[in-house]
Formats: sequence, structure tokens, C-alpha cells
Amino acid sequence: MSRLTFENVTVRFGALTAVNDVSLDVPDGMVVGLVGESGSGKTTLARAGVGLTPMQVGRVLLDGVPIPKRGSAGRVQMVFQDPYSSLDPRMRVGDAIAEALPTPIARADRDDHIAHLLDLVNLNPAIGLDYPARLSGGQRQRVAIARALAAQPAVLIADEITSALDVSIQGSILNLIRRLQTELGLTMLFVSHNLAVVRYVAQRMAVMRDGIIVEEGPTAEILEHPHDPYTKELLAAIPGSHLPPKT
Amino acid sequence: MDGLKRVIRTPLGVAALTMLVVVLGLAILAPWLLGAKAATIDTNNLLALPSSAHWVGTDSLGRDLLARTLVATRLSVVLALSATLVSVTLGLILGSAPALLGHRLGRLVTAIVNILVAFPGLLLCLFFAVIFGVGQVGAVFAIGLAGAPTFARLCHTLVAGVEERDYVAAARIAGGSRASVLVRHILPNIAEPMVVQATIGAGSCLLTFSGLSFLGLGVQQPAFDWGRLMNEGLNRIYLNPLAALAPGLFVIMAGLAFNLTGEAIARIFNVETSGSWLASGVVPSQPGVTASAHGIARSDKTVLSVNNLTVDFPGVTPVRGLSFDLHQGEALGIVGESGAGKTLTGLAIAQLIEPPGVVGGDVVFLGETLRSDGGEEQRKLLGTSMALVFQDPLSSFNPVRRVGEQLAEVSRVHQGMTRKVAWKRAVDRLRAVRISDPERRAEQHPHEFSGGMRQRAMIGMGLMASPTLLIADEPTTALDVTVQKQVLDLLDSIRTSEQVALILISHDLTLVGERCERIIVMYAGRVVEDLSADALPVAQHPYTRLLMEAVPTLATDLDQPLAVIPGAQPEPSIEITGCAFAPRCPLADDICRTSSPTLAPVASASGRTRNKRGLDITVQTTRMLLRLNLGGKSTPVHTGRVACWHANEPLPETSQLDDTSPSLPASTESTHDVDETVVTP
Ligand SMILES: Nc1ncnc2c1ncn2[C@@H]1O[C@H](COP(=O)(O)OP(=O)(O)OP(=O)(O)O)[C@@H](O)[C@H]1O
Ligand code: SF4
Ligand SMILES: [Mg+2]
Repeated sequence: MSRLTFENVTVRFGALTAVNDVSLDVPDGMVVGLVGESGSGKTTLARAGVGLTPMQVGRVLLDGVPIPKRGSAGRVQMVFQDPYSSLDPRMRVGDAIAEALPTPIARADRDDHIAHLLDLVNLNPAIGLDYPARLSGGQRQRVAIARALAAQPAVLIADEITSALDVSIQGSILNLIRRLQTELGLTMLFVSHNLAVVRYVAQRMAVMRDGIIVEEGPTAEILEHPHDPYTKELLAAIPGSHLPPKT
Repeated sequence: MDGLKRVIRTPLGVAALTMLVVVLGLAILAPWLLGAKAATIDTNNLLALPSSAHWVGTDSLGRDLLARTLVATRLSVVLALSATLVSVTLGLILGSAPALLGHRLGRLVTAIVNILVAFPGLLLCLFFAVIFGVGQVGAVFAIGLAGAPTFARLCHTLVAGVEERDYVAAARIAGGSRASVLVRHILPNIAEPMVVQATIGAGSCLLTFSGLSFLGLGVQQPAFDWGRLMNEGLNRIYLNPLAALAPGLFVIMAGLAFNLTGEAIARIFNVETSGSWLASGVVPSQPGVTASAHGIARSDKTVLSVNNLTVDFPGVTPVRGLSFDLHQGEALGIVGESGAGKTLTGLAIAQLIEPPGVVGGDVVFLGETLRSDGGEEQRKLLGTSMALVFQDPLSSFNPVRRVGEQLAEVSRVHQGMTRKVAWKRAVDRLRAVRISDPERRAEQHPHEFSGGMRQRAMIGMGLMASPTLLIADEPTTALDVTVQKQVLDLLDSIRTSEQVALILISHDLTLVGERCERIIVMYAGRVVEDLSADALPVAQHPYTRLLMEAVPTLATDLDQPLAVIPGAQPEPSIEITGCAFAPRCPLADDICRTSSPTLAPVASASGRTRNKRGLDITVQTTRMLLRLNLGGKSTPVHTGRVACWHANEPLPETSQLDDTSPSLPASTESTHDVDETVVTP
């Protein structure tokens, strides 16, 4: 079992309330999509979920138990939006992944493990010996995903993980996420601005705006019958529904 | 060591390093070679004036003053370095304490440090000298302690900057303790600027130490450093001025040696760390300048002409032979997957490839042929007419300065605006990129912005004036769909209203297809297809067509894995014979594998009529038309260029065609297989 619950979470930065009394359930083995505009508090909520951002009010529960501040040691993992900031420039790719392995393992096993994980995200295992500076944006993001998976997390929080990826690799990452979910029963909070992507991976979804969840429910239902005006606006803004102003 | 080479390349660096080597050499060698001479008492020669035997004269015991000055180098340098060590160590401890202690205690430490920084250093020094007693150990600690607050503050700022980065967050999530995160991730990343600061600091320590010794608070008899020698020489300054001046000169030389070396290294780091497009002088123009310089030719003309552009790194050629023209106000999209060479192409056009990278071919911008070693004139042209917006907004901003200031600086430096006017402009540009409450936001630091806001602010910076060409590298990658739309609309409106040519670099084919008139598809550093956006549905290159199919839409079948292109793009270091896409191409045959297709105009717009399965084209085309929302318009025509031996031939494995198509019996199976081979190790 691994179920992540946000209970009346409020996060304030000074005068700004980034997340306002949000309750959200990420049921065991399910992918919940979280969509919303820039600055609506998606990333803040995600970071609160892994304890990176302190909450003023509320708690985050893993299987009904509040997550301890220390020593949760990777039970909830996160993959970030910005591939340029998510890897330590002074650390070899392989070492960065090894650092996230749940328990220290023998050198030989370790290398196998890293090679396997890199392969999983469609990277040449030889890249493990490189420093991030040599990798392009997309390659870095794939390393970051491999690092999160290395910790064998109970819950994975993914913050816009595909927004910097090529469509060709985005497809295989989304396929991978779906496979991890069906085969391993991975529980996941999937933050994305791309409704088509959320529709593809998430069984349930929540729409966030100005720190509040304005709509939540089964993905198919929301996409077909959006209630909130903002959700409707989001649906209208999907790339492909916009005509280019060509001259 | 790469850094060292680059220090040597600058004149300042050479001068500083030479001085430093001389000083350190003296510190090591002088006591050995001249130690005896400096200690030899010669009662026949007390207080001698300079002569050929004693160039600087002798002291009250008849010891040679030049020898003593040279020998004093070691003690002076060692004491200065010890004091620096004390400063740096304390500074590191105090500066990283907030990262170790957590919020509340950390803030207390920071507050104390801030108060200490405000204290005059010399006063602190004298205060500690009294506490520790007169003597060299006391002086080392006095100077070290007095210097510590400055280092602490610097260290704290740097640590705070690194702490912002996601890799630190990732390490914390992985369960790393504060101490291990500090040691493994933070300290290595602040080492460079700290070393620079310490080098500069050593210079000031040397000066201060000489001052203390000169006042009699530092080194005591019988030991001697330069300050001490100056003190002794001062008594007879009218009789033998050299006795005081010689050690004084050495103090200045050694102080400068440290200081300048630090400065030289700092300059190089600055160029590297702030990665600054601005530092490189590539910022938008003063509208007036553009108008006067190029005003006449502003109509329908070629802004940029790229011919056979290549980018080489040692052993690697990530960009191979790119050619295209760009007209005024035109929007060109460059798409391709990660590592295709899109970013490097943008950098090469702006002449921003750093050594050891080498740019080949021609880039003609506004009639001028650009060169990587272009002088002042070219810098001015680029600085006034080309603007860039980057993929990496966080590291493009200086973390310790307000966003508004950083935008304003562009206009102050390159447009000569006053502080006030530039600030107003910055606020206006922030508003233009739809940052709400721009007055307040301008006062904030980059870390107070969300990722999307940072990216918008970056675009705002590129738009501080009205450039002729805007190169935007993944400007909206991290933005959600509503803001992405707003930003792209903004770029559109600037482009049309101000006739700015736009190069939009993106991995997102759909996005580029909507926003650009023309599209260049790159693969492994080459152009594989060059076509108008309208022609996307009839793209001819297998790669372009597969990309079109890999985009999930609201109509994608949820029961099937998404289409993926199996395999990976070849590393740019690998020499490829034949077509670079062959290992992943469903149409590849022996010709493809042995000889490389050239980019050539498409044979005929109706080439696909020769297909074995005539039906699938129409299905595919309709599907794509629907996707692009161009339904109802007449079938587009491809008038561009394509590099493929089998351009426009049907793809056998295509899965995204209508399932009802009788010509594709096993399509779903095949996609699945493709996916499995990609993802499963
Ligand atoms: N300084 C360098 N030295 C050697 N190789 C480099 C260097 N910079 C980039 N490369 C290589 O050049 C290739 C092209 O890199 P580039 O950054 O242009 O790709 P890109 O198309 O912009 O990718 P992305 O979409 O991920 O940003 C990559 O394989 C990269 O590893
Ligand atoms: S040349 Fe051959 S291998 Fe290359 S894209 Fe065309 S068909 Fe495929
Ligand atoms: Mg790039």
C-alpha cells in the first residue's frame, strides 16, 4: 500500500498564499494528474509533498501516517521541471544515480543497476561516466528520472517531467510511466500543463488555480464535461486548437 | 586546469601570474640563498647608505637590507596566507551554518554576520590585536577574524544560490543529511568563487599585516617581515629613504600579485558562470541605432543568411552543414530531438560558441559576415540588433540581484538610459510578458519567481529594446499551456508589429508548426527537411512523419502505447556513413546505409501517388489536417527541401493511421513491439 494524502495543506510565502487549504488524495496504485496555470501552486504543492516546502497548515500522509520530517529516506520521490538545475554539475551521472539507491550496494551490482536504470530511460549506459555539462537538456531530464526511480519510491511526484522532452522520448517516458503503474502499481502525482499528456497517464485529475483546487475527478469525466470555467479555458488552449496568425 | 590556460590567455592574467610566481619563488628560495647574508652582523658597516655592496644599505647592526627585504618575503607571505586561511575557514563555517542549522538558528547567524560586516575591518583588527596580545600569532588571528565576516557573507550568498538548485532538493529527498548535502553538493559548487575571493583576500591580508607590523603590533624582534622592516627604516627615512621604500615596494608588488590574479580568474569565471548573453554583448538594440544604420533597407530583405554552418568540438561535430535564409519579420522554427544541435546552431549564429568549439561556414547578418573573432564593430552590431532568449532561465539570472535591476541594466549599458527610465522600461517589459504586479515583482530576486515567471522575465529581458532578429531557444518549454500561449502570442505580435525576424528553437513540432511560417527539421546535426508549416501534413521525410505521429492528442487511443521512434539519435562523435536516421528508419535499405542523402528540393508535390497503398495517404493526411486544425483548406503543397532517398514513400509500421484502414492489419501490434524494444532493457 502506498497512498499519498494532502490534508488541508496551506503554504504561504510572506503575504502570498501559494496553496490554500488544499486536500487531495492520491490513491494507491493510481496516477493523479494535476493541471493548472503557471504560478497556480502546482509545484509548491508537489514540493510540500516531499517536504521541500514547509506548510503553514495541514499535513501530508503516506498510508495514513504523517511523513516524518527526516528519515522518510526516499519513500516519496520527486522529478523536477528544470533539467538544467536538477543535476549537480560536479557529480558524474552514475554517481548521482547511485546516491539515490535505497541501500548502498556492492560496486559491481551498483554499476549493473545504474546501467539498467539508464537503459530504462533510453540512455546509453556509458553516459554514467559523464558530467551533466556534456548532456543536452533532454538527456539531463532522463537522468533525473532514472535517479528518482533508483530510490524505488512508494510514491513518485513528477513535476512537468515531460515538458522539456522531445516528443519521441516523451512517448516512451509516458509509456514507461504507464507500465510502471500497471506492473509495479506505482502511485504517482503527475503535474503537467499538457492535458493530452495527463489524459494519457492519469486516471484521475485535479485542476488548480490561484492555490485552490477548482475541479477534481476521473480524467475522462472532467475532459468531457468540465464544470469550472477555468477548466474549459484550459481545454480551449490546447496546442492544435489554436490557429496560427499567418500573414 | 582549463581555467589556468584561460588565465594565461589574457594580458592581465599573464602579468598577475608572473608577479605571483616571482613572489612565491622568493618566499621559497630567498631564505635559503640569502638567509645567512641577511643575518650577518657587520659592525664596520652600521647604518650604511646604499652602495654597490649594499644596494639598499644596512641596518643598525650592519645587516644587508636588500637581503633582509628578500628574506622577509617568506614570513610576510606565510603570515598573510595564514590569516587568509583563518578568514576563509571561519567564513565557510559561519556562511554555511545556515544551511546546516536550518531556518531559525541560521537566520540568527546571518544577522550576526551582517552586523560584523558593517564593522570597520581595521578597528576589529586593532581590537583583536589588543585581546590576543602583541605578536605575530595574535596578529594572524586578529586579521583572520576581521576578514571572516566578509567571507561568511559571500559564502552564505553562494550557498543560498546553490541551495536553490533542484539537485540539492533531490539529494535532500533522497534522505541526505544537511551535512552530507553540504559537503557533497554545495561546497564543491561554490569552491571556484571562494578560491578567487581568497586569492584577492590574501592580497589585502598582506597589506593589513604589513600595516600592523609597521605599527609595531605585528611581527616582533628578532623576526622580521616587510612591515617590520618599514618600521625600522622609517626612523632614518630622510637619510636612507630606500630602507623603508624597498620593503614598501615589495608589499605593493605582492599585494597586487594576489589581487590581480584573483581578478583575472574572476573575470574568466564571470564569463562562464553568468553564461551571460549580456556579458557577450548580445542584447537588443537601441531602436534609433537600428533604424539609422539599417533603416533604408528595412523592407522585404534577408536578415540572416546561413551557409554551410558547422560546429566542431574536438572529436565531435554536432552541427554539419546547415544552410538557410531568413527574411525580415519571418518566423523560422528549428525542431529536432534533444542533442540534434539546435541550441548550438543558435549559439553559432550569435557567435557565442566558446573555445575549443569552432564554427565553420558563413553567417551573414544584416549584410555583415560574422566571425568568431569579430571585433568591436561586430559586437556592436550583435549588441544592437540581435537578441537571444534562453533555454535555461535560472542560470541566466544573477541570483543575488533584483530582477528589475537586471533587466534595466541591459538598457542602461547598451541604450544609455538613466537608471530611472531603464527601471520604468523594465517594469513595462515585465508587464508585457504578463507578469502580474510588475512593480512589486521587479523588486524581487529570481528565486522568488516561479519557473514560468522566470522564463517570461527572461523574454522580457530580450525585449528591452526592439531587435531585428530574436533567437528564442525553447522559450516556453517550462510553461503551462495558458501562459505558453500568451508568451507565444506576445512573440507573434512583436514579430508582426515590429518586423522582427524570429528563430524559434523547440523540440515541440506541434508548437512550431503553429507559430512559424517555415520549419527546419534537424537530426543528428543535419537538416533533414525544410518545409513551410502548412506542408507539415504532407511532410516527406520519415523522421518528420514519425514525429508528427508521436504527439499525444486528446484523441489518442488510451489502450495502446504511444508511438515512439525506436532507438536513439547517434552520438555526434560517431562518424556515420550513409543516412544518419537509417538505424531507426522503417524505410532504410542498402542505399541509405551506404550513401548519405543530400538536402534537395522535393521532387513533386504529388509524389506519393506512386504509393503501393494509395489509401493510407489520404487517411494520414486527413488525420494530420485535423490535428493542425486546417480542415477545410485545400491540400497543402510541399515546396521545400528534403534529405531522403525514399522521401514520401509510405511507412510500413505506421500505427497512428485510422484503425479501420484495411491496408494496415497489424499496425497496433507493431507499435507495441517497437515500444517494448525501446523501453525494456
Ligand atoms: N561543449 C561541448 N563539447 C562537446 N560536445 C558538445 C558540447 N556542447 C554540446 N555538445 C554536443 O552537441 C550535441 C548537440 O547539442 P545541442 O545542445 O545543440 O542539442 P539540442 O538540439 O539543443 O538539444 P536539447 O533539445 O536537449 O536542448 C549534443 O550531442 C551535445 O552532447
Ligand atoms: S534516406 Fe533512407 S534511412 Fe534515411 S530517412 Fe530516408 S529512407 Fe530513411
Ligand atoms: Mg537545446
